[in-house]
Amino acid sequence: MDRSFSPPLSQAHFDDLLERLREAEETLDAIRHGEVDAVVVGGSSGQKVYTLENADRPYRVIIEQMREGAVTLSADGTILYCNERFADILGHARESLIGREVLHFVAPADTPVFAELMAHGPASGRSAELSLINADSVGVPVNFSVVDLDMGQDSARLLCGVVTDLTRSRQRSHELAAANARLAAEIDVRRRAEESLEVALDAAGMGGWDLDLAQGLIHGSKRFDEIFGREGTPGPWLVGELLARFLPEDRPAVQAGFEAARRVGSIEFELRIERLADGARRWIHVKGRVHRQQGRNGRLAGVVSDVTTRRMTEQQLRQAQKMEAIGQLTGGIAHDFNNLLMVIGGSMDMLEEHMPGDERSRRYFAAARQGVERGALLNRQLLAFSRRQDLRQEAVCIDDRVHSFQGLLERALGETITLQLVEPEARWLCTTDPHQLETAILNLAINARDAMPNGGTVSISTRRVVVDSERAQSVGAAAGNYVAVSIADTGEGMTPDVASKVFEPFFTTKAVGKGTGLGLSQVYGFVRQSDGFITIDSTPGQGTTMTLHFPLTDDPEQARAKDDAAVTLRGTGSVLVVEDDASVRDIAVRSLGDLGYTVFEASHAQSALDVVASGVGIDLVFSDVIMPGDIGGMELVQRLRRSHPAMALLLTSGYTGQAMADQPRPADVQLLAKPYTRATLSAAVDAALEKARARLRDPGKPGV
Amino acid sequence: MDHDSAPPANPPRYKLRLFITGSTPRSTAAIQNMRRICAEHLQGDYDLEVIDVYQHPDATRDYQIVATPTLVKVLPEPLRKIIGDLSDSERVLAGLNLAQEP
Repeated sequence: MDRSFSPPLSQAHFDDLLERLREAEETLDAIRHGEVDAVVVGGSSGQKVYTLENADRPYRVIIEQMREGAVTLSADGTILYCNERFADILGHARESLIGREVLHFVAPADTPVFAELMAHGPASGRSAELSLINADSVGVPVNFSVVDLDMGQDSARLLCGVVTDLTRSRQRSHELAAANARLAAEIDVRRRAEESLEVALDAAGMGGWDLDLAQGLIHGSKRFDEIFGREGTPGPWLVGELLARFLPEDRPAVQAGFEAARRVGSIEFELRIERLADGARRWIHVKGRVHRQQGRNGRLAGVVSDVTTRRMTEQQLRQAQKMEAIGQLTGGIAHDFNNLLMVIGGSMDMLEEHMPGDERSRRYFAAARQGVERGALLNRQLLAFSRRQDLRQEAVCIDDRVHSFQGLLERALGETITLQLVEPEARWLCTTDPHQLETAILNLAINARDAMPNGGTVSISTRRVVVDSERAQSVGAAAGNYVAVSIADTGEGMTPDVASKVFEPFFTTKAVGKGTGLGLSQVYGFVRQSDGFITIDSTPGQGTTMTLHFPLTDDPEQARAKDDAAVTLRGTGSVLVVEDDASVRDIAVRSLGDLGYTVFEASHAQSALDVVASGVGIDLVFSDVIMPGDIGGMELVQRLRRSHPAMALLLTSGYTGQAMADQPRPADVQLLAKPYTRATLSAAVDAALEKARARLRDPGKPGV
Repeated sequence: MDHDSAPPANPPRYKLRLFITGSTPRSTAAIQNMRRICAEHLQGDYDLEVIDVYQHPDATRDYQIVATPTLVKVLPEPLRKIIGDLSDSERVLAGLNLAQEP
């Protein structure tokens, strides 16, 4: 062995060297055989990786396959490489693009954007949206992102770019924007429809509602909440919560209505609720229909309105119609009854002169006479109710009247009851019959007294009331200004049922024999005949207020009639009695004969005209108003007034109100109410003759 | 990084580092071959990391890597490098000192 070339080697060192050699050989071998595809080179600027032939093929494939355009640019924007997709976007062959400046394809407007993109920037890349002009000279919107490729200090600057065609996404956003606009327009139309529906419903006083059957929730409009009296808690109602608002006796009907709606598809009812806010009982009308959702009954929607006022008006109207019907009936009976009383009373007048003088006969006769008088009184009350009494209307200040008979009122009320007269704001005048007014107030005061067996207060007050057309319709009077006089007590009050009947004739809550049941009927008829109306405000246990309304007037001179004396006056002259009822005519003929007149008679108007035409010389024609035949009493006197202006005329009727409404009575012709006595007949005949004589003396002055 | 190892209480016997260059053909072949050898011979008793030298060029310095793919057996010692796509299983097993075992 040659020692000089062989320094001593440890076995380990040797093994290590051997291993290193093997590793180096293996490395060289692997490189030589192409078992590696990259080599790593260490240098001053760090480790660098050099890929060998074909090593970047997967990347090339990816780049060629992808749906984005890929491009490599030199620093001055020359295209060094581009993929097929990039060429597609521009519509040129790839071969014709390499070597050209990309700026050539940028839309002129976007060149500043592109220049900024090409300027040096951060290594992480940057992007911008711009338009490229394709082979067809059409602008293609793209997203152009570039990144600087660091090739080392000595290499030229390179930029890698990725180009995304935005045409489709732009198109999609346009479509989306258009769809959005359509949707917005639809929403707008729907909202407007909803708004106008709400306005329309509100104008109709209706609330809208929508019931979700599955959830049991009811969504209501603002008016809906108002109708049910819910304040301050917006949001849906639970079905149970709403049901609880109905009166307990009405709830089963509500439930039945909703049950039936599921089967028949619609709902409608008119029932009562207790309003949440103030506990007021109101009538509501509910109407709705089922929405069918996916084949099953999902929702009910509809409207609700408060119909309390309408129902009250209907009720008042029914009441008014009922009273009218009763009035007609009562008036008819009273008319016939009057004629009977006339016959009885008149016959008794005749009989009186032939009466035997014994005490017993006189007593029987007086009892019969009293019966006739009571019958006549009753009849007057019935006629008053049926609005067929002869009112003497004039301008009346109610307060002055009340003060003038305050003493009488206090005596009637007794010691346990305090009378309170409230001083009015002004002394209004109204048109009515003052005597009937006093009777009516006295009547009401006595009723008030009877309602307070243990004492209390009756207060009388007047005020001015303006009645609008809606209210006028419900009370059955004309719209306008009224003077209202209220008679209020602190008594036991009335139930609504009783209050609705108090004006009916013979309705009384008093013990048998204590009242005729005609007092309030008379008040009612009188007020109605004065073109007024009555309202009742009564609560059981709290008292009753009756308010009479009379038309307000400004004319203090509106007097129409005056009182007649009641003294039997004998007279002379010829009288023609026109009367269809033979008994009544007979009585009149005999009475007038007894008074000293020459009497002619006729059973109807035509025969009366014949008698007058025969030239017998009639001073006065005394005619019934209502008679069978073509000519009535009114027309008869009108004809005679024209043909014989000097003739005295007098009418009689048991039935005056209606007849007067039908045909105007000549101003100077008096009307004698049936039943009349010999005294009232003589006074009326005498007055009529006197008036005719006065007219004859002074033809220019019209009769009063 | 891959980490198909046993529970940490028992550190794996083999610590392996495979250096590759992205998805070049040899690199992808090496990854597949390495997975097969590990599954067949190491029974989960290993810690393998695949290092892309494109992403981490400086990582090659520690083990003086000159070409990819290269498998480095860090543990058990001695450190050993096997160059190539690891398609020669026998050579790989020899490098991992597993050749003698049946």
